Formats: sequence, structure tokens, C-alpha cells
Amino acid sequence: MSTLGLLISLLILPLLPQQAQETDPPDGTRINSAQVSGIELSRLSPGLQEEIGKLAGTPLNRQHLRELAARIETEQPRLIAAVRVSPDPDAGARVVFVVARMRDQEHGANVNIRYAVEDVEIRGVSEHELDPLLRADLQALIGKPLDPEEADRLETRLKDALPDYDVTRRTVRGGQPGRIRLIFDATRAESARWLRFEPLEANAIFHSDQGWGAMLPITMNSRDVHVTPIIAIDNGDDLIEEYSGFGLRFETRKLGTERLGAFFEWNTFDQTWRDATLATLALDPGLARPYRNRMTVTPLVKFAITRQLSIGGGVSITELDPLSEVDFSDSQMANAAIGSLRFSERSKRRDDQRHDVDAAFTVRAGTNALESDLVYERYLGQADYSYRWANHRVLVSGMAGRIEGNAPLFERFSLGDSRTLRGWNKYDIAPAGGDRVLYGSVEYRYRGLAMFLDSGAVWNRDADRRARFSAGLGFNPGPVFFTLGFPLNTDEFRAVFTMGLRFSSSAVGFQKN
Amino acid sequence: MDRILDTNLPPAARGSLGGAALVALTLMTYTTVEILAQSVTITRAGNAITVRAPGFGFIKGEPLARLKDGRSVRVDLELDVLPGPGGAVAAQGRQTYVLSYDLWEERFAVTQVGAPSRSAAYLTPAAAEAWCLEQLTVPVSALGRLGRELPFWIRLDSRVLAADTAPAQDGGADFSLRGLIDALSRRRKNDALTHSIEAGPFRLSQ
Repeated sequence: MSTLGLLISLLILPLLPQQAQETDPPDGTRINSAQVSGIELSRLSPGLQEEIGKLAGTPLNRQHLRELAARIETEQPRLIAAVRVSPDPDAGARVVFVVARMRDQEHGANVNIRYAVEDVEIRGVSEHELDPLLRADLQALIGKPLDPEEADRLETRLKDALPDYDVTRRTVRGGQPGRIRLIFDATRAESARWLRFEPLEANAIFHSDQGWGAMLPITMNSRDVHVTPIIAIDNGDDLIEEYSGFGLRFETRKLGTERLGAFFEWNTFDQTWRDATLATLALDPGLARPYRNRMTVTPLVKFAITRQLSIGGGVSITELDPLSEVDFSDSQMANAAIGSLRFSERSKRRDDQRHDVDAAFTVRAGTNALESDLVYERYLGQADYSYRWANHRVLVSGMAGRIEGNAPLFERFSLGDSRTLRGWNKYDIAPAGGDRVLYGSVEYRYRGLAMFLDSGAVWNRDADRRARFSAGLGFNPGPVFFTLGFPLNTDEFRAVFTMGLRFSSSAVGFQKN
Repeated sequence: MDRILDTNLPPAARGSLGGAALVALTLMTYTTVEILAQSVTITRAGNAITVRAPGFGFIKGEPLARLKDGRSVRVDLELDVLPGPGGAVAAQGRQTYVLSYDLWEERFAVTQVGAPSRSAAYLTPAAAEAWCLEQLTVPVSALGRLGRELPFWIRLDSRVLAADTAPAQDGGADFSLRGLIDALSRRRKNDALTHSIEAGPFRLSQ
């Protein structure tokens, strides 16, 4: 540690009583040796190094030494240099250029530098995980006045030594007056976790064609466990049904080991159906029937293969109450086995640029083996990529899905909501959804302003596929969003406006199941 | 020391459309401009004018938390003299300060960076802010005709440099109570980092 204080103390050394008997070598005394202390000699220019090297054997000339010290300061503006001349036993002189870093005004102005460090504590990691040298340097702060500059350097070294942690520093009062404690808090970064929590979006959304709806999960979380009561009010943003009701989700991402997690959700929702949906269903008796309530229990187990890749499996048990006895007299069961593969990569926050990727492939199979009345298979692949640099952000999303068999309506795909095909209304595109979907979106954001291009198609296997495009603008100040989307390949000029509040647990991605 | 008070011209804050448009514009660009003409006074000391603005606080939010953690915070203050609201800068004064919070005395200390270097200690937050403003001056000679023949306005800007402030995110956060607080306070953090007020008109008394 080289500070102004050290410099001053070194310069004062010759004046201390034990040195008082020594006489100051007069100019003309032969210089026996000349050294530079405080920095590597190699940091100085070759010419200056040579001149300092040539001092040995020459007569002492203090004016020349001061000029050399001034040249050191000129070459190293953040350093301060002084000359110390001391007598050698053989009547010669020893010259030392004492070089120290100038204390940064910002750090030097910290009023707490007058207090001595009583203790240095590292929380969140065992000190044994640290390099012994770093540990020793941290402990070396103890007993000395606070040196904010050195504390900053050590904090940086800690961050470098613990790339999977977010490290912060704070200073608190010590146990005795005039003493302080330095605390370094290391918190495990989310990117270093083995498993991610299942994405869940909270929102309150207005869609100019579809009206208001809200999904309100309120997460009570610890690092490993989420307990989430869920309330849905006329939510119609992700499915072709509008639903209201409540549920409870429990999720842990540590079951003995961080590689193993469990998920359980129970919910019960009452449905409201649009006239367009009911009319389409009436015309196609091959589609599953609408229901007035669905109650679902979903237990899942997840396992992390790597920090980026995880697999999951479980079942979804759903009971559907008939909308009318014409459709089906007793309740129907839509029980499915679930298998999923998920990839998630988050770049480090310390980097100025961030790349985040989320991708998932999910299979849901309704089968007689689970006593399901509806037998089907549903495949869905989703991938989202986010690139962030300073205030710029690019989002790219893609989705492809396919359903075989007689799937319940909540499994059917739709496009044209607040996240997909913005500018289109899903009840105009496919009022009863489709069993095929293909979708892609590119969005650029600068600060809160956004522009996007969406394209996609949702259709049934025996029908023609029609690709639709839309473009628009958005404004996203924090969790609030305003979007104006325009359908492109249509003769009708119209706009769809959406606004609301959205909190997403996923940095990227839409939340369709 | 002469005390200069507002003239009898109406303060800008009184509901002009221009003021409303300015507020809307600055809200959209994440910069807060508050019109606090009623609480701003100008003082003349020799050939310099200084500002008193008790409502102009910058020791709050994220910088305050950083200070309470025993770290120092750098604050840049700028005093602009304008010929009218939102006008071009006619004269300017700038100063940089380093604030710190004494963990044992529970008071703030301020050091003015650069020459002349001055410092003050054992201050409350309001006193520390007032001390910073006292050091921020604009020479009367730089005003020209402003103040004597023409009224002038002032704009006061603060910029707090907290190096470890997390980058703002546009979206992702859990809807937990903590997430909600974080999301709603994100704006406040930005407010604290850049703060601006404009006031006037003023005239120099003879």
C-alpha cells in the first residue's frame, strides 16, 4: 500500500530521535547507491532509469535529485516523489526516491479515514474459498485507519475472485468508539444457480380489442423457495379463454442438492368465452368443448444437467366442468404427462454488454394411462434472445408448436395479444385458437422507446396457413408499457393499442405454456 | 451583503402550458425539473451571486444509502444564469464536492474538490447541501445587462456520481413486495442522480 501518509512517514524517518545523531550528507558527498521505492523502476522511461542508475559514484547534488524527482512526477502524474538522502557508514550517501500514489481527493475526503478498522468480515462465502494472499491483504486492513482506495481495490479483487457472486462493501461502526468494521457481502449471482424458477408474469393489461385483464401472482420468496398465491381477473392475454380465479404455486430449487427442484401448483379458474369463439366451436364439432371451470393440479420435478440446461417431468391433472350439459354432462378430465427441456444462459452483469438466452421445449401428452378423457400430444418450442448494450436492447423471439389429437381448449395456440402479433386481435385471427403455430419477433429498444416487427401464423392442420405481419412502436418506462401495433398484410387500416403494467420473472420470453 | 429577492413578476411554476410541456418532456427523458421559484433566493456577496434553495436536496435515495455505508459520494453542482426560462446559458458556475458520512458522529462532511479546496464537517444533510450551494457562485460581472436592466433566471443542476449504481432494467422483476419496491424506487434513484430546478425571474437590487 503506497499512500501519501506512507510517504510522509518515510520522509519523517530521518528526523526521528534515533536518527538524530546522523549528520545529513552535504552536497558533494559520493553517492554509494540510488534506488526508487514505491514503484517498479521499469515503469519509468528508459532515459530516466538510466539517469537514476548513473547516480551511483557521482557527487551528491540535491538540486539534480529534485529535478529527477520532478521528472518522475511528470512521467507518472498520479504519483508523488520525494528524495531521501541518508549517510552510509563509509561516509558516502545513499539516495532513495520515495514514490507514492497521490491519494485520490474523493477517497481522501472521506471523513471516516480517521477511524481505525477493527475487523474485516466477508459474508456469504467461506474465507477458506479465497486465495490466501487476498485473505491476508484483507486482514492487513485491520488496525490501520480506513483506506477507502485500498478497500476499493480489495473489493475489485474479491469480485474477480468470486465471479459467481455479487460483491458489495459497507462500513459500520465497530465495537469501540472510533473503530469501524468493513463488511464485504457476497451474494450468489442468479446466473450461478443450477435451476431457474418457472417463469410467471404479473400483469394488468388493457387491449383495445380485448379489454382489461389481470394476472396477479404475489411471490413470497427466499433464495431457494417461492410461494406464490395467484389471482386472475378476466385474464385473456395468454389463452383463447378469459379466466378468473385463484391458485397457489410452490416451488423449490433445492431438494438436498441445488441440481434438484420441485414444483407444485393448484389453481381453479372460471371461464368466459367470446361469442366468436363459441360460434367457431359450434361450427366444428371436432374441437374439444368449452367449459365453465377448470381446476388443475401440477406436480413437477426438475433436474439441472448443467447450470444452463435442465430437464423437468411431471403430470398435469385437470378437471373441466361443462359449460352446458349439451357439451358434456359430467366433468371431463384432461390429464397429461409433461416433459420439458430448458436452456437458460445469462451473461455477467459486470460486462457492459449482456446476452441472455432462454429456450424451452415442452411436450404434454394427454393419455388414457392417466385416465384422461382427452387424448392428445402437444409440442412447443420457444426461444428468446436479448442483447443489451448500454441503453440499447434487441429482443428476438421465436416459437413453434404442434398439437395432435383432441386437446382441451386451454392447450390450443393463439397469436394476437399484448406480446404476440401486436396489431392483430386473436379473436379475428383464430377465435378458437389453432393446433399449429409459428411465430417470430424482433424488437429494438432504446431506453424506454421500442419498435418491433412481429410475424406469425396460427392454423389448424387441415386448413391453409396464413402468415401475418405487424409492426409498431412501444414505450416501456419500467414495468409500465404502452404499445401501438399496426397489422401490415391487410387491406384494412387499423391499430391495436395495449397498455398496462407487467412484471416478468424472466428477462426475456413470452409466458405461453 | 445585499439580499436580492424575486421581482414582482409571476414565478414560472404558475401553471403555464410551457411549464407543463417541460415537465412532461423531462419526465419522458428521466430527468426531473422542478419549478421551485418560491423557495429559491439569490444573495449577492461582493462581485458574486449565490443561491439558496432549501428545497433542492441531493442527499437522498441511493447516494444517501451509499453514504450511510461509509462510502464517499461525488456531487457536481452547476449554477446557470439564463435570460429566460429554458434559455441559453449567459453565465455559469460549477463546483465538485465529495460528501461523506461520519459513522460515529452521524453527521456529514463535505470537501470542495479543486482549488480553492475547502471543507466542512459535522453537518446535517440540509446544512451540507446548503454549504455546497454557498460555495457555488457566479460573478456579477459575467451577467452583463442581466439583473440590472433585464430580469434573469437561474437553473440549478446536481449530478451525483455513485459508481456502483445498478443499471436500470426495463421490465424484468419478480412481482414480489421487494420487486415492486425496487421497480417503483428505480425512478427515485434516477431522480437522485440527476436533479434540476429552474427559478426566476430575479433582478439585482441597486
